Amino acid sequence: MADLLLQSLYSGVLVGGAYALVALGLALVFGSMRIINLAHGELVLLAAYIAYTFETKLGLNPVFAIPVAIPVVCAAAAAAWYLVSRIKRDRELNSLILTYGIGIVLTNGVLLGWGADVRSTGNAWLQDSVMLGNLLSMRSEVLSFGISVALMLALWWWLSRSWYGRAVRAISSNRDAARLMGIDPRKTELISFVVAGLLASCAGVSIYASSAIQPSIGEALTVKAFIITVLAGVGSIPGVLAGALLLGIAEALTVTLASSALQELAGMLLFLLVLYVLPNGLFGVAKRRG
Amino acid sequence: MTRLKTRELHAPIATTARECAPRRRAVRPSLRGALAAALAVALAPALAHGTEWRVGVELPLTGALAQAGTEMYRGIQVAADIYNRRHPQDKITLVAIDDESNPAKAVAAVEQLASQHVVAIAGAANSNCAGPASEAASKAGLVYVTSGGTSDDMVTRGLKNFFRVSNTPGYTSGMVGLFDSLGVKSVAIVYSTKDATSDLARQLDTALKAKGVKTMLHAYDPSISDFKPLINKVKLQDKPDAMAMLGYENDYVGILRAARVLKPDLKAIAAPWAFASPKMAQSFPDLVPNVYGATVLSSPADYRSADQRDFSDAYQRLFKTTSNYQSQTSFVYAQLLFDAIAKAQKAGTLDKGGLADTLRATQRDDTFLGKVSFDARGDNTNYVAHMGQFSRDGKLALVWPANYATAKPVYPGVPW
Repeated sequence: MADLLLQSLYSGVLVGGAYALVALGLALVFGSMRIINLAHGELVLLAAYIAYTFETKLGLNPVFAIPVAIPVVCAAAAAAWYLVSRIKRDRELNSLILTYGIGIVLTNGVLLGWGADVRSTGNAWLQDSVMLGNLLSMRSEVLSFGISVALMLALWWWLSRSWYGRAVRAISSNRDAARLMGIDPRKTELISFVVAGLLASCAGVSIYASSAIQPSIGEALTVKAFIITVLAGVGSIPGVLAGALLLGIAEALTVTLASSALQELAGMLLFLLVLYVLPNGLFGVAKRRG
Repeated sequence: MTRLKTRELHAPIATTARECAPRRRAVRPSLRGALAAALAVALAPALAHGTEWRVGVELPLTGALAQAGTEMYRGIQVAADIYNRRHPQDKITLVAIDDESNPAKAVAAVEQLASQHVVAIAGAANSNCAGPASEAASKAGLVYVTSGGTSDDMVTRGLKNFFRVSNTPGYTSGMVGLFDSLGVKSVAIVYSTKDATSDLARQLDTALKAKGVKTMLHAYDPSISDFKPLINKVKLQDKPDAMAMLGYENDYVGILRAARVLKPDLKAIAAPWAFASPKMAQSFPDLVPNVYGATVLSSPADYRSADQRDFSDAYQRLFKTTSNYQSQTSFVYAQLLFDAIAKAQKAGTLDKGGLADTLRATQRDDTFLGKVSFDARGDNTNYVAHMGQFSRDGKLALVWPANYATAKPVYPGVPW
């Protein structure tokens, strides 16, 4: 039983890392612009298919597809920002509808371009198992976790130390005051979307390297990312990792101790429980009244 | 709401009403006669042409089951192509609507097809869609034929217009027969909570227990992607001889990937539908070796009749690639449906709801699935899944039942 639980915890941590990588981009845009980009999962999906094309056409390790995926996905993210920026009224609601539509377009674009078949990497190195004591995992999962932590640290550094990162935080805190301080909100929001695209590129390549992809998974990725973003607390990057790990571990333990059929239910129950106890999420800050 | 996507292979001839301008001069009688003769000559082929039947197709061309749906549609298209070439007086026109692997859209697709006056509907890649879609077809008075509605409740609803060529008991017989022939003593059944897979898991569990085989069941949500905790339970708690994985393509990839990492001490792994295809071997050559799956033919195929060779040639001509068991199966029911439509038309019962009776009276022995006939519930009770096993070079050999086998099974045998 101890072996079973330890392996389950280990698998949960690795899956949580992968979830965090997917959620980072959504969390950034949501935190900075209060916009839920429902096409985020499809941006991740696009990067995954670019990695697939890179591997099948060039025969190279799909991880090397990241520099190829970044400009394409960032361009798609910038296009999404441009459309969202045209919204003048009821921004939160209309951006939900618009980005949902963008997601449908991207999903069907992927379907037209790459077909409906299930795809996954054939790279033996990535699929080889790695042992940590008695604990087993795929090499790609460990790599994905490492990339996730590295990107999180990089994003945290960018938001706290770089000029544009601080501009993003300023815009999310008070858009008008930031404008008065000389920060261009449109440019800053574009940068948020592009950085989210960069994060989605890494997430997509990572997903392709460690599991199977098909055109329909974009929506599920967006939902997962949204749950983690809310769990984390709006604008909290460390919260994204904590929320994702919590979710991954809860799901893995549910499978081990109860049934795999309850895995999604466990995730949703955790979501509700955390919000009930901590309405602003794990690391969210309550807004002052008055 | 996403607009349903419709495709017609052959567009209907459009006619427009036009008011004739008043004539300035009367046409002379001699010219009038010549015009009439020319008109008669021009119209003769059209007048001599037989009937055109529009057959609706409701399948997932997008969504989670798009691969299966696309392949099934190809089988139907090949059947239409062969029928139209063999019967130049008649014409089958397919009207396809994508149900997007969504039950609500499957119903909407059927309703739209009914409004387009199709004579029958071929459809659905799984029971979740086939169930509501066939009920909608029944309300519209249309025959509904499928290879995707395999769960038992499909034929216990009392629908007179529902027909299927493959079913869960057939898959159960195939898998139980295989495990029996291998001498397996214990089986871990890992199954998706969707209708057909849950149904198959229950039947497989009962049938294996009846043969004295120990079984352990593990249900999983269709949305999960990390199967390692589940496979770890199979490895550390169950320790079975074999594992039966009941799901769809993406599930098999996840399960086999997890098994490849954790390396449970298994002697055999088997799947029912959507596994044993050349495409699976091509896409995942590291995951398929020694794994069993339900199939129709071996790959490369050994075609046993002129009909089957015709199918292969037409498929290659239309799609420039090789077929798999999904298109081979849908070809079977499409062929039967088109022949039944022609018979009902000839008997004058097609427009009077006679297609269902004609189809029920159908029996053919030389199909890809062997003998096909339909009982009072519309079920092909002759169906027994053939089981194939992939070799390391990606070829698929038929290993059960013995009278169809092209090779002996490799046992014990797993991909790693």
